Amino acid sequence: MAEIKVIKGTGQLTCLGLGSCIGLLAYDAESGVCGMAHIMLPEAFKDKPVDKPGKFADTGVPALLAEIEKAGGNIRRLTWVFTGGAQVFKYGAGTASKLDVGARNGEAVNAHLKKLGARILAQDIGGTSGRTMVANIETGEVRVRTVQGGEKTLCQLKRVRAEAA
Amino acid sequence: MSHTITIEEIVSKTTDLPTIPAAAIKVMRETQNPDSSAATIARILVTDQALSARVLRLANSAYYGLVRKVTDLQDAVVILGMKSVKNLALVASTYPWMQRPITGYCLGPEQMWQHAFGAAVGAQLVARISKKAPEDVAFTAGLLHDIGKVALSVWLENKVGAILLYAGREGLSFDEAERRILGYDHCQVGFHLATEWNLPEEVAHAALWHHDPDKAKEDQFIVDCVHVGDYICSSMGFGLGGDGLLYKFSENSLERLGLKPEDLDQITDEFVIRYEEYESLFQELAA
Repeated sequence: MAEIKVIKGTGQLTCLGLGSCIGLLAYDAESGVCGMAHIMLPEAFKDKPVDKPGKFADTGVPALLAEIEKAGGNIRRLTWVFTGGAQVFKYGAGTASKLDVGARNGEAVNAHLKKLGARILAQDIGGTSGRTMVANIETGEVRVRTVQGGEKTLCQLKRVRAEAA
Repeated sequence: MSHTITIEEIVSKTTDLPTIPAAAIKVMRETQNPDSSAATIARILVTDQALSARVLRLANSAYYGLVRKVTDLQDAVVILGMKSVKNLALVASTYPWMQRPITGYCLGPEQMWQHAFGAAVGAQLVARISKKAPEDVAFTAGLLHDIGKVALSVWLENKVGAILLYAGREGLSFDEAERRILGYDHCQVGFHLATEWNLPEEVAHAALWHHDPDKAKEDQFIVDCVHVGDYICSSMGFGLGGDGLLYKFSENSLERLGLKPEDLDQITDEFVIRYEEYESLFQELAA
């Protein structure tokens, strides 16, 4: 959990068992560099050192960008995909709650990407299902699996390359 | 769909229902006895050789980082403490059947275990932070909170899809849908099983009320610790089956424990760090 992984040209990236966490994927079609972060919480704690930058949305997004750049990707060409952010119900009439960590994670990732002016190719967030996201860099296919809904293709990363060409 | 089998029948008719060794249950009770000692705990454990061997192996895992190898049970109790050894005995007793797939709830190999252990670590952490309940009891109750699923799984077969559909249509939580369709939920089955196994009452009450803590009449703080521990572990995606996060969370549990919703992010962070620390223990379990 909380890890950041980057691959180039070949292989696949997997975010296993996402509950309220977010699996965040960024892909540079031209260099074939793809990175993924497993984000657990919206923001790092002010009074505690960050052990793994991938853990928080506010440290995870810049850390993912840095890793992609290190691997030869161009961060201005990235397209983004994210999934997860499931949440439990609340008892009674829901006042605005700090408990909805899934929703807060989704909002935080969205806000950070918006700040970057990022191009979001696809997102699949919320609900009550646990998800697993698998991105195959060779085929460009990003698949999301839930126990209830089975497996489906969320998006096709290679199409972006074809469109850009 | 109506229920065709009673809770009593689930417990009496499930042929491969797991058991907790008598020695582990005796240790569980003995640690709550103010007169217990390292010698009495060791004397109980030694009656079950397989269990003793596993406890010693776990005590020597990298997790505890002991300087010299412990080969004597009484030494293990003295060095690690009675409550740690009790938890090790339970972990060693439950892992063999909890790591199996629980197909009725769409839980693959290791997933039930991951969830049970995660809830145990979560409940223990909540007990430590809130100081409202004994940590070792919270751990035990967390570990066993979903035992009802193990018994119910066989009878649920492929009904989980229908329960989910019904829950979605009616806007119900999964346990509410279980009650409407089956006539009872996995919490009630867990309570019955815990009573049948002669487990301590607080463990049985946590199994019964872990999704509905506001209704608990006894062992309120243990129930609350397990409710919050279960929530944190599920939220982090540990062992989510077909029922996923289709449950309710009671903020009253946090209030009773003297915690605020904003404390949960810190507790979640701490939970993941602790859970990962246990990985060396898991390697010994799987060996």
